[in-house]
Amino acid sequence: MTFDELDRDGAICEAFDAAIGESRAAFLGRALVGGGALLAALSAPPSAEAAAASDIAILNYALTLEYVQAAFYTETERMGAIGAELAPVPAQLGAVERGHVKALRKVLGKAAVKRPSFNFAGVTEDRDAFLKTAVAFEDLAVAAYKGQAARVKSSEVLAAAVSIHTVEARHAAWMRYLVGIQPAAVAFDEPRPEEQVRAIVASTKFIVAAPQMQGKGNPRFTG
Amino acid sequence: LPDSAVNDVESRSRFLEKSLLAAGALVGGGVLVGGFPNFAASAPSPEQDVEILNFALLLEYTEFAFYSEALSRGGLSGDLLEYATTVRRHEQAHVAFLERALGSKARAKPTFAFGDTTSDPDKFASTAATLEDSVVAAYNGQATNLTKKTLVAAAKIVSVEARHAGWIRAIVGEDPAPDATDTPQTPAQVTAALKRARLLK
Repeated sequence: MTFDELDRDGAICEAFDAAIGESRAAFLGRALVGGGALLAALSAPPSAEAAAASDIAILNYALTLEYVQAAFYTETERMGAIGAELAPVPAQLGAVERGHVKALRKVLGKAAVKRPSFNFAGVTEDRDAFLKTAVAFEDLAVAAYKGQAARVKSSEVLAAAVSIHTVEARHAAWMRYLVGIQPAAVAFDEPRPEEQVRAIVASTKFIVAAPQMQGKGNPRFTG
Repeated sequence: LPDSAVNDVESRSRFLEKSLLAAGALVGGGVLVGGFPNFAASAPSPEQDVEILNFALLLEYTEFAFYSEALSRGGLSGDLLEYATTVRRHEQAHVAFLERALGSKARAKPTFAFGDTTSDPDKFASTAATLEDSVVAAYNGQATNLTKKTLVAAAKIVSVEARHAGWIRAIVGEDPAPDATDTPQTPAQVTAALKRARLLK
C-alpha cells in the first residue's frame, strides 16, 4: 500500500478510534479560511520572466505539490463521505491549499506547470484513509519546502516559501492530533530532496496523467 | 530523541559551528535598537548569523524555562501534560543546539517570572499558544537575513515550533492554522508580544 511508504513513523495506522472526540467538533466548526495573506506575501517577487530559472523550477515544484494537496482536499470535501464531524477539515485545508495554488500560479504566470489529473483511489471517501493520507502529505510538504530553503535565490520567494512551510507544519500537527499520533515527533524536522519527494508522490499513483494527456486513457476508479 | 536524530544534530552542530567560526572575527556589539538587534541592516553574514542565533537562543531559553516551570508546578494533566512534556524536550534540544553552535558567543541565560501562567492550566495553554506562534513568526522573520548554511539549520527548528503551535491550538480548540501563510515578525514585534504575555520582562 502506498500509505506504508508514506508512513514514516510507522504509527499512522494506530489509534483511530479515540481520535475524534466530541470536544473537537466545536473547534472544527470554527475553522476559518485564509488566502489573501499569501497573495500579499507573494506580491513582491519579480515576474517569472525576471526570476532565476532555478527559482521558477522550485516554484513549479511547489505548485505541483500544492496541486495534489488542493485536489485531494477539494475532492474529499465534494464527496462528503468522511462524516459530518470531520467535514470542516477538508473544507478549510482545501481552501488554504487552493490559495497556495492560486498565489503560485499568479507569480509564475505563463511559466506555471499545468494542473495534472488525479485519481485518489477512494482515499477521499473514507475517514481513516483520508486522515492517513492527509498526515502523510502534510509531513511530506513540510520536508519538501524545507529541502528547497537554501536553494531559493530570490529573497521575496524565500520569505513567501518559509511562510507557507510553517503553515504546512501546523496542518501536519493538526492532522496528526486528529489521528491520535504525536503531532511533533522529533526536535528537528529533516528536509527531503526533490527527487525523493517526487518519487514518493509518484508511488501513490494519485497523479494519473500529465495535463496534455488529460481525457485519454481509462483511469482506474476504485471508489 | 532517537540516536539517528542525536547524531544528526551533533554533526549539524559541528557544521554550523565551523561555518560560524570560519569568518574569524565574530560580532562584538552589533547593531542594537532599543536593546534588541536590528538584523535587517545588512546582507547575510556569519557575524549577523551570530546575532540572529542569539535572538533565537533567547526565545528557546524562554520556551524551555516556561515548560520546565509548568511541569515542576504540577498543574497540568491529560493532553496538556503530554504536550508540555514533549515540547519541553524539544526546546531543550534546540537550546543545546544553539549553545553549541554559538560557543563562547552565546548570550547569557535570562531570568524569568512567569507568574501564574505556569500554574493555571488555562493560562498555561493560551500563553503557550502565544509563545509558539511568536517563535514561528520570529524565525520566519529572519529567514532572508541568514546565510544559507544557517538557514538550513533554522528551517529544521521552525517547522517543529509550528507543529507545537498547531498542537497547542488544537488542544485548546483554536484554529491550528488560521491563515494561508505565517506572517513573519521583527525581533521588536516578537519581544513586544512576549512582554505582553508576561513571558519576557
